[in-house]
Amino acid sequence: MVAMNPPTDQDRGVRRDIRGLAEPDAEAPKVARVEGGTATFDAADLSPRQVNLELRRLIYDEGVREVTVENPGAKHSLAVGLLARCRITIDGSLGYFGATLGDGPEIHITGRVGWSVAENMMSGVVVIDKNAGSLTGAAMRGGDLVVRGHVGARTGIDQKGGTIVVGGNAGSMTGFMMQRGRQIICGDVGPGMGDSMYDGAIYVGGSVATLGVDCIEAELTPDDEELLDRKLGIYRMDRPDTFRKFVCGKQLYNYDNLEPSERKLVL
Amino acid sequence: MADEMASSESMGLGKSRIFTPEVINDIHVKADLGRYRMRGGGIFKKIPHWDELVFLPGTLTRFVIEGYREKCTTRTVLGSRFAKKPLELDIPIYITGMSFGALSLEAKMALAKGASMAGTATCSGEGGMIPPERDFSTKWYYQVIQSRYGFNPHHLMLADAVEFFIGQGCKVGMGGHLMGQKVTEQVAEMRSLPAGIDQRSPARHPDWLGPDDLSLKIQEVREATDYQVPIQLKLGASRVYDDVRMAAKCGPDVIFLDGAEGGTGAGPHIATEETGIPLLAAIPEARRALEDVGLADEIDLVVAGGIRNGGDVAKCIALGADAIAIGSAALMALGSNKEVEGADYQGTFGVSAAEFYHWHTGKDPAGITTQDPELRKRLDVDEGATRVYNFLHTLTLEVQMLARACGKTDVHSLEPEDLAALTTEAAAMARVPLAGTSYIPGVTESQTLEEIKNLLAKHVANDGRGSDV
Repeated sequence: MVAMNPPTDQDRGVRRDIRGLAEPDAEAPKVARVEGGTATFDAADLSPRQVNLELRRLIYDEGVREVTVENPGAKHSLAVGLLARCRITIDGSLGYFGATLGDGPEIHITGRVGWSVAENMMSGVVVIDKNAGSLTGAAMRGGDLVVRGHVGARTGIDQKGGTIVVGGNAGSMTGFMMQRGRQIICGDVGPGMGDSMYDGAIYVGGSVATLGVDCIEAELTPDDEELLDRKLGIYRMDRPDTFRKFVCGKQLYNYDNLEPSERKLVL
Repeated sequence: MADEMASSESMGLGKSRIFTPEVINDIHVKADLGRYRMRGGGIFKKIPHWDELVFLPGTLTRFVIEGYREKCTTRTVLGSRFAKKPLELDIPIYITGMSFGALSLEAKMALAKGASMAGTATCSGEGGMIPPERDFSTKWYYQVIQSRYGFNPHHLMLADAVEFFIGQGCKVGMGGHLMGQKVTEQVAEMRSLPAGIDQRSPARHPDWLGPDDLSLKIQEVREATDYQVPIQLKLGASRVYDDVRMAAKCGPDVIFLDGAEGGTGAGPHIATEETGIPLLAAIPEARRALEDVGLADEIDLVVAGGIRNGGDVAKCIALGADAIAIGSAALMALGSNKEVEGADYQGTFGVSAAEFYHWHTGKDPAGITTQDPELRKRLDVDEGATRVYNFLHTLTLEVQMLARACGKTDVHSLEPEDLAALTTEAAAMARVPLAGTSYIPGVTESQTLEEIKNLLAKHVANDGRGSDV
């Protein structure tokens, strides 16, 4: 008797890429328990594609406004590209690119997140109860991104707007090439903070290892104090007694006209 | 008595090949400036180029296709690997990404309109989406570029294809440049930057670093766009074989290769001259890479860089490209480098219109690579669109003409076998025979070596058998 091999993806006509990330043929699993305007589903056995399809089905097609995703299993690219007001609770941790490219959702992640959480967020709120990886809030344009724990390197890289609030410490190159917006770091910040930033403000409650190129300390104004009180109050976070404010020194705006004494800044 | 210090024509004294008058002038300029030189345009130095390849049309060994009667299709489909809506173009040529900021609003609109008339696509470029460009484009690429200037997920949803900009041929390994004189209030606001600064875009993406992260970034954008549109990765031609193999494994639908001949609105002269490899060397490397990872039939290949006419387009297709993007030539079709009323190229820039490369200054007399409201008035959108359409149509006719002469009823059927090289360098890079011979440098030697190895193996085997007896 000839042993039969189990059917492969190819036998079933399922198309995949080499790394097994592409799932063009998946469909929404329709596993959520919907009660009124809220829904809950277990993502333990679902792929990222299926989780996103289920979220879209619930939010766009079923008009559900509150969704809880259980057992997210640190999967990548979950809850991305949602362009509607809604409230999502991720009951666990996310991998890379969690809650990105959104405009409107309020997303609460009870665990940790990998790299590039809330990347390019336009508006809305993302709250992470534990730590976040590197590149947190990369190229973010609006909304509030709150990490109650620590964050890795290059938080708010290329940030273009919105507010990033970190309860713990931040890694190296925080605010690298930041363009606009605000960062409130309650703990300590690593080396190279604010390197090559164009604009915006970084508020630090703890120590700063070193400042990056063209980042300078500025005076904390009453408006700044009001902002810090308000943002930390909204998210019920402890406010350090004192904050320092850092902004762009604006010496590198026009490389072509640098004075001889400024030239060595860019080496 | 002879003066040994006097210059002599025969000895070439006083005429250094190293320190030429141009080199000396360059050193003087840098000593004055204290920085590298910025400029627009593409590579100036001589490199192996499409002129060094020719077609071998049908005569008696091949059956030719009737020029004005028999069909030779030009329809081009990109990204059917995973995208629910692959990009369907009427012709194998489209307009590559050039930012609003580098180009005027009118130029972006005219390119979009001209491309749509030709049934093909345009691309947003770096500075974000401008609604009139999207309105005029029937097929529109949206760029995910390192700086993410103006990147908006709502605009992402309007795209017919998404291009990840990882590098460009003109200045591989660098981000974009836009000099302060072109960073107007509007351009700055779209990019969330202070107006008037010299904008040097990041060279790395903010949210991923290497190919493993890129795979996940592609997954993220596919999830956000619901697998509706193709994902294209644009690479500057550098270590093409390894880069394309890595890119292919990241899971895109299309790979875009930009050769060293490509132009830019603004970039360091040294980078334009010294980075990247020519397209005719890059395409065979890319095809070899796609074949080696078993994805040659799944991932489409788009190429760009210094394309001037239908001959260049046809040669790209013959070497293995599925579509060709044009940038500099499209600007010229629009009227760049052309004498226009009121322009004084010589007086303003010290060069003739044809030699004008000062796109970075924002003072383009043709109103194309500028944000100056007065200069912009010189470009009429409808007239420009018609010129762009005429040029795209002509390129297509030229490709068809060469394809028919080579016996093809579809331009995409052109193949390396239809080409010969005029120089050994071009033969080695493009991997087609030197004209009049069957010699492909590198390939012929490898084949010969393989034959010798096989013969030796047989010989050793025979000897072995003999000793046993």
